[in-house]
Formats: sequence, C-alpha cells, structure tokens
Amino acid sequence: MVAACSEERFSRVKQDAGLPIRATRWCLAHAGIAMEQVEAVVWYEKPLLKFERILVSQLLGFPWTLESFRRTAMTWLTDKLWVKNALCKELGIRPERLLFGDHHLSHAASAFYCSPFERAAVLTVDGVGEWASTSLWQGEVGQPLRRLAEVRFPHSLGLVYSAFTAWLGFRVNEGEYKVMGLAAFGQPRFADQVRKVLRPTGDGGFAVDTRYLRYHQSATESYSAAFVDLFGAPRFPGAPLDPTTPEGRRYADVAASVQAVLEEAILVLCGALHERTGLTDLCLAGGVALNVVANRRILADSPFRRLYVQPAAGDAGGALGAALWAWREVLGGAPTPAGLVPGMGRPWPDEDLERLLTELHLPFRDCGEELLDHAVEDLRAGRILGWFQGRCEWGPRALGHRSILADPTRPGVQETVNARIKFREAFRPFAPSVAAGAEDRYFDLLPGGQGPAEWMCVVADVKPDARALLPATTHVDGTARLHVVKPQANPRYHALLTRMGQQTGHPVLLNTSFNLKGDPIVATPLHALSTLQASGLDAVYLGRFRVDRRDLPGADS
Amino acid sequence: MRCADVPLDLALRPVRALAFRLPGRPAAEMAELSQAEAGGGLDMLEACERTARADLRRQFFLHALDQLRRSRLFRQRAAALAQARSRTTAVLEDSGYIASHGIRGADPLYSELGELRFLAYVWLAERRSARRFAAYQRLMAGDPAAAGMFAEIGRDGLLHVTYSRAELDLARQRGEPVTSALWAVRRRCAWQAWMRFSRRVGDLFAGLWLAVVYLVVLGPFSLLARLLERDEPGLLAPEADDRSAAQRAWEQA
Repeated sequence: MVAACSEERFSRVKQDAGLPIRATRWCLAHAGIAMEQVEAVVWYEKPLLKFERILVSQLLGFPWTLESFRRTAMTWLTDKLWVKNALCKELGIRPERLLFGDHHLSHAASAFYCSPFERAAVLTVDGVGEWASTSLWQGEVGQPLRRLAEVRFPHSLGLVYSAFTAWLGFRVNEGEYKVMGLAAFGQPRFADQVRKVLRPTGDGGFAVDTRYLRYHQSATESYSAAFVDLFGAPRFPGAPLDPTTPEGRRYADVAASVQAVLEEAILVLCGALHERTGLTDLCLAGGVALNVVANRRILADSPFRRLYVQPAAGDAGGALGAALWAWREVLGGAPTPAGLVPGMGRPWPDEDLERLLTELHLPFRDCGEELLDHAVEDLRAGRILGWFQGRCEWGPRALGHRSILADPTRPGVQETVNARIKFREAFRPFAPSVAAGAEDRYFDLLPGGQGPAEWMCVVADVKPDARALLPATTHVDGTARLHVVKPQANPRYHALLTRMGQQTGHPVLLNTSFNLKGDPIVATPLHALSTLQASGLDAVYLGRFRVDRRDLPGADS
Repeated sequence: MRCADVPLDLALRPVRALAFRLPGRPAAEMAELSQAEAGGGLDMLEACERTARADLRRQFFLHALDQLRRSRLFRQRAAALAQARSRTTAVLEDSGYIASHGIRGADPLYSELGELRFLAYVWLAERRSARRFAAYQRLMAGDPAAAGMFAEIGRDGLLHVTYSRAELDLARQRGEPVTSALWAVRRRCAWQAWMRFSRRVGDLFAGLWLAVVYLVVLGPFSLLARLLERDEPGLLAPEADDRSAAQRAWEQA
C-alpha cells in the first residue's frame, strides 16, 4: 500500500458519501502514477444489487413508503445508479478497467489481507451492503476468500444498533460510539425487551422483528411506534443527558441492554464461524467492528484466541478491501503483505511547514532536536496540544499523527478537554496512548488483543491501582480504549511517549482526534491552525515547529 | 461562499424582511449563515494553500479565520435562539448542508476560477455580505446580542472588501482584465442562482411525478413482491455463483 485517504479529509464534509474523486487523485499523484498506468479501479459494492434491495423493500412497504421512494428514487436515478459513468468521467478511466467488488467481500478482504494471519476466520458485520448485513468467511493466503454464510436484510445488527442510536437522540452513523460509551453507565435491565427486537435463530444467526423498526421502509425513521411502546419516549436530540438522573439512567440502561444483546449475537456468530472453520484467529470488519467493547467480549468469551481489526473497519475501508481483493483474486497479484501503517495520507515535510508558517507571518518556534522536550514540558504544565506529525491517519481513529494530546494523570483534564475543545458529552471517555511494552503496567489487555490495540480497536481493563492515576482515560466501568504505540508504526509519537515516561514515570498520553465537534479530523496545517484558533488548545506542534494559540490573530478567548 | 447580488435576490429583499418576522426565522437564518460562512472559510483555506503569492496567502488565511469565526458566532446565536427539533437545529446538524446547498462545489473554488476571478469573487461576495449583515443588524435590533454581533462582523467584513478591492485595483494597474473577471463572476453567480432555482423546481416536479409512478405503477408490483417475498432470518448459505472472480468483478450486479 502506498497511500490511502478518505474524501472527507479533502472536502471537509464528515463521512462524505460522495464519490472520492479528490482522494483518488491525491493518492495517484502521491504515488506518481498516471491514470493510463492504472490497471483497475475497483468500486467496493454492486450498485445494481443495492438498488434492487432498496426497490424491493419499498415495494413490500407499499403504500407506506411513498416518501422513502421519492427520496431514494431521486438520489439513485440521478446519481448513484450511474457511478460507473461518473467514475469514468471524473477519473478519466476506461470503462473496461472499472471493476465492482461486493460490499461484504470488500470488508472481508480489508481485514484478512491486512492481517498477519496465514489462515483465519473472517466475520463482517455492518448495517447492510447489497443484501447481506452479516457474512461469515474463511481466508487463506493464496486462496480466494470463501463465503460460508450470511444474514440478509432486513435482519441487521448494525441497523438495529443505529435504531437505538436514533432513539437515544444521537445521529445515526455517528452517534453509535456514544451509545457504547453511555452503556457503561447502565444496567441491561431492558435486555429482554431488546431481545423482542433482536433474537437468536438457533443456527448461529439472528432475526429482527420488523414490527418495531422502520429502517427497511423509511429513509428518515429507524424505529416504529411499537418500539416507543416498548422502550418509552425517545430522547430529544441535544437534550441534556446525565446518567445520574432517573431519566438519564433509563437511557443508559437501554444503551447497556442493546450493547449486551449485540454482544450476545456477535458471540453466537463467532461460535458458528468457529464451528465451520475450526480456526482460532479471527478478522473482523464492517461498522460493527468499531464497537470496541464488543471486540473485547470476543477476546474474552468466544472460541477465537487472536483478533485483527484494521482501523478503517467501516465503509471507508471498503476501498482498501476492494483494491486488495482485485489485486489478489482478479489480477493475480502476489500475496505480499499489505503494509498498512497508521499514516497513509498526505505527508507534510518540515521544509513545507516552515515555509508556510513564515509566509503566514505567524510567530513560531523551531524546536529542532528538542521537539520532544518542549512537548513534554507543555504537557507537564497541563497544556493541551495539537499534534500534527507526518502523514494523515487512515480511518476514524487519531493514532498520533493528527491528535490532541494531554497529560492524563492531571486531575480535571478530561473536563478541560471537553469544555474547551471537543464539547463532547461528559459520559464519553478519552483514549490513552501508551508506549508498547509499558501497557502491562497500566492495563489488562486480553491475550490476542495486541493487534486491535495498535489500532485503538479494543478496550482493556485498567488495572485497579492505575485507575486513580489515569482518571481522564478510565471509563466508569474501569476500561479504556487502549492505543498501544510501537516505534516502527509511529516513531515520533512513540518517542514522545517514551520521553514522557522518562520525565514523569508514565509513558501514557490522553489522545483524541484533532478536530472540533462535527468536523473531520484535520488534514492540512491550515486546518490545524484554524482549529487552534477556534478551540481552547494551547499550542500546536506542526512537525518540529510550535505555534502558540496566543500568537494567532483573532483566537477565541 | 455565494457571491453577487442577482436581480431575483434584490427583488426578494422586501419579502425577506417580512419573512424575518416569522417565528423561528431569525434562528434559521443564523444557522444558514453559519453554514455559508463555514463553506466560505473552507474555500479561503484552500485558496490560501494554493496561491503562489506569499502576501495573498496571509490575506487569505486571515480572511479564512474571520469567516470561520463568523460561522461559530452565527452558530452560537442560532443555537441560543433555536427551539428543539426546528429547522434551525436541522440546518446546524446537517453535516452535508454545505455541499447539498451549493455553498461549495466538488472542486476548490480557487482552482476553478483562477486567482483574478477568485479575487473578483471575494470582493463581490464580501460586498454583498456587508450589505446583508447591515440589513440583519437593523432587522435584529430587538436582539442586542445579535445586533452587536452583526456590528462586529460588519467591521471585519469591511476589511475583506477593502483588501480584495485593493488587490483588484493593483491587478488593473498591471493590465489584467479585471472588468471582464468581475463580469465573468457575476455571470457565474447568476447562472448558479438560476441552477439552484431550476433544481428546486425540478425537484418539486420530479417529486410529483415519482409520487404518481409510485401509486400507479408500483402498486401492482407490490402485490407481486409480497407474493414472492421470502423473509429468511438466520444464517443462510450464500447464493450459488459459478462466475469467475473476473466475470463477477466486471458486473454491477
């Protein structure tokens, strides 16, 4: 792999669903490849099959699907059905070089072909692709990925979870993390009600009772009146949510219940997959693979001993999987390692950063070789830093290239980061980054979780004696969304953690994505500087240069 | 960033003043302005990255910071005035608003227009914004916080009008075709306004037409779909497909 980047980093539209034209052009330019040299462009799903599923769903919902039909027909007939033409026109590629993967095949390939495993079971779980919402696979190097079984729409773990996300007043496809964070505050006392919506079928799969749901018939509503009868009134989006109040507790209990039932369903799927493959290594992909709490449960309670999740496990990773699948299975490419590292996006060399800062007439300090000392000094003084180093991350996690950093051992730092910068709900925890080798001092990472921990895709128990030490990154249930940093994956960030450890005794940092609420993660130094101006960050380190917020014109007080 | 006054816009000004009195309208306007300014700020950041002139890079950067700050101020005011589940909250929470409402295109505006036309665009857009903000200041005189905000923003806007005008004057002195650039931008803006209007009308008629198709054509097919419906929960064997990987990859179904 040479380059990978999401369109949202260019368009600045979070989770941009448009064609990734600018991202594609940048990847090609970065690799020095002209479009005429490209053997194949691979789209990650089959548009006609997807349209068929949408149309059939609307036919089955007649006459209650008028509005949904009107919306989807206008989108599909004017845009999505013609993806082939649009790609050929925008990218200048010949039609015969345009290939189409399959949604879940792309997910499966993105996990298995990036994993270190020679043979593995592969589970893909998301909202829905063409027809499948969940697929079971077996992968073996040198062999095509083999699909063993699938669960089809409208039976979908991802869409049920999203329905609860909407009921809890969060945005679908964005607020699922919040449901997961809220769940730790509750007890699963509504689990039996959730099981009315989502029940196991006894064959390793599950079924959804569509009487409670609307997603199969509506473009805007996820749940039905029967759902509200079952769980009560939904929460207004934006209304205060305090899990210590009776009403907040009820929402937290529902979140805990859906999380518990989701985990049960995933464990049953894992059992069925293990039974069919006999393998003990599992690759996981699809949006549900970003549920880090469920991933821990897989390590704890499933027959699988090792787990691999790549950082863009959601639909953004479909591009990666589609390309790897076509390379290996269509074009007959060599089964070389994919070479996925945290930073696959645009690099910003120090010379470019220095020229930019000089031309902007911004006061800055060239830290040179003392960069790490300056950054640690800032962190020890309680300052909150933007950390813009090297290439942009691939996927939704900030992995030390575009991160906001703080010292997690300082009391009140979580509240400060929330109040001054992220404006997140107080119940959502921040993640800790720890230098590889030191994680055992603070965390009980389950065996087999090392791979996902490198991509911040699993939670670990914080050791009881470390909880008071790391209050800002320890969730209410005593877990943390751990990020283990190896020197070969991110040398500068690992060096910063190590230097922090040398000076404070604790090579741990609070790490959250470098963005403001609602924005994609920053991609360029200009985005970083505008975020510095708009937020309560104290300073930003752009390469080896430090810019203080007080030196920026018009910084908000 | 939207640019120049177009005749329709001017003609609608009194109507807007009346509409502003509708309940919830000021908050919704603030939300829309917030999105427009955010889009403009992003355009300016892209211009800042792309221009070859160091002096302009700083101007564009400062301009971008101002626009993004305006956006935040409008957002805060809109949120303060908004009611739960109103149009205002829908606009504020719509992460795709900037793209879906034509505030920004798929390609960077600076790359599309080139430097001279981009400067012409900035001047026209800022001049228009200054007028609009002055009008808002009057319309929101009963809301001291909003009126104060518009007064402050108006001062910033004046700086943007001044620097972009100065740049155009310098370009004129260098013999660059400033007048034709201004007219090209005006034509582009008028065309885009027409396209937005046409799209709305088109969407309306397409919606009506699709409703007819749905009721007349899809009805019978829905009976057929129900007859053939197979609700198959649980784990299913994958459908047999004897095509090779290459054959499958070629097809969209």
